[in-house]
Amino acid sequence: MIEARGLSKRYGDLVAVDGVSFQVGPGEVVGFLGPNGAGKTTTMRMLTGFMPPTDGTALIDGHDVFADAQAARRAVGYLPEMPPLYPEMDVQGYLRYVATIHDVPRSERRAAVDRALERCGLTDVRRRLIGALSKGYRQRVGLAGAIVHAPPVLILDEPTVGLDPIQIQEIRSLIKALASGEGEHAVILSTHILAEVEAICGRVILIHRGRKVQDAPLSELTAGGRRLEEIFARETLRDEAAPDAAAAPAEDPR
Amino acid sequence: MKRIPAVALREISSLFVSPVAYGVLTLYTLLAGFFFLLGVVGFLETLRQAQAFQAFDYLAQMNLNDALITPFLGSMSVVLIFVIPGVTMGLFASEKANGTDELLLTSPLTIWDIVLGKYLAVAIFVLLLGLLVGFFPAVLFRYGDPEVGKTLAGLLGLVLTGLAYAAVGCFASSVTRSQMIAFILAFVILLLLLIMGAVAELGAMGNAAWLEGFLGYLSVGEHFENLSKGLVDTVDLSYFFVVMATGLLLTKAAVETARWR
Repeated sequence: MIEARGLSKRYGDLVAVDGVSFQVGPGEVVGFLGPNGAGKTTTMRMLTGFMPPTDGTALIDGHDVFADAQAARRAVGYLPEMPPLYPEMDVQGYLRYVATIHDVPRSERRAAVDRALERCGLTDVRRRLIGALSKGYRQRVGLAGAIVHAPPVLILDEPTVGLDPIQIQEIRSLIKALASGEGEHAVILSTHILAEVEAICGRVILIHRGRKVQDAPLSELTAGGRRLEEIFARETLRDEAAPDAAAAPAEDPR
Repeated sequence: MKRIPAVALREISSLFVSPVAYGVLTLYTLLAGFFFLLGVVGFLETLRQAQAFQAFDYLAQMNLNDALITPFLGSMSVVLIFVIPGVTMGLFASEKANGTDELLLTSPLTIWDIVLGKYLAVAIFVLLLGLLVGFFPAVLFRYGDPEVGKTLAGLLGLVLTGLAYAAVGCFASSVTRSQMIAFILAFVILLLLLIMGAVAELGAMGNAAWLEGFLGYLSVGEHFENLSKGLVDTVDLSYFFVVMATGLLLTKAAVETARWR
């Protein structure tokens, strides 16, 4: 459903993402882990076609995100780090707009919006202005926007950031339901909350300094009572002693 | 193509929930009233003096179009250089500031869908401004007999000027995430477009006649004047379409390159 083939992104000398490849199948929830600045957001932006990769390609549901952009974009629901909301719109108006620009036919729009409202627990606030909502509700509106056109692929950038514990629970169970439910969505979510990965992800991809350093089922990683924290620390601290020239171009003497 | 109206509709409804649209409409109507009143008072004064001096030749030539409507529309076209940037400043800049550009650019919308949708919204707003201004000369038909064709040609000139300015404003908004910078940039470009003709006429180009002619062509003034005198010429009409097309093409290019950075 999601396929990254050697994705790289360079900004001048700075290598943000370096040859990342992986596949995600239907019904799978993959946790995208890594320290801040590891390249998680950049990778997700390349998968959604928001920015083109310097090298490599990405396929969404079999469509190349650049050569066959329209089909790929119809197939992906994306929740960016900052939910893309218009504060002056009301919740249902916003969702109707998102559905429209994602080519949901007019006759199905109302049902699609109602379904997204219900799944994200927004039915009670459907007429409220987005700007007047609390952060947790806004996050949910963003998530509702990502699923309103029923895309087979979901890409969620830190979907639970800024939420209270109860809201976090709700969003997590929603994501789980989306992956296992009738839609069989393929889900990638980025986070640096390790407990979140343990709670909902079946597989972990660990990114560090733009490279994929670990890609394994959660059960395999935590087999024998190993904890995710240890793996995370081991992988990300491993080369801390030897400064990586690619990751610190500013200090590169020329 | 069918997505353009969706983008336009959202843009218009956003314009009208923010105070910007109402502020601009109120300001523009007030200014129109002011300039119109000034025109009427001036017209009556000229008329009175011409009668007092028994200048019958002059009185015979005097008409509402040349003495009142044309200068009035001219003033309103100048006012557009700060009214239009106020309307267009948010078009793209606010999307970037809100993070909603990520929604648009990862949706099946093409860049042309986005650019033309937004432009359509502003175009409708410009038509609304044209209607408001058109109300004032319309009043004159009740009390006098201005020429219909000439008046309509002048209004057409005003609307085309607004549409051309809107394309420039779109571009200014597409290169920044700050609405303030978008406003100032658009204002400066429009001001240059406006005064270029005056610079050319002052003979500042020395004896480079071709440059004078070129600057004159680039300047809005001459083309608007011809229209408001009732001369509907393809040279002048094409000028407005050239500005529009250039503005929109540059906007599309700016949105596209933002993605590659």
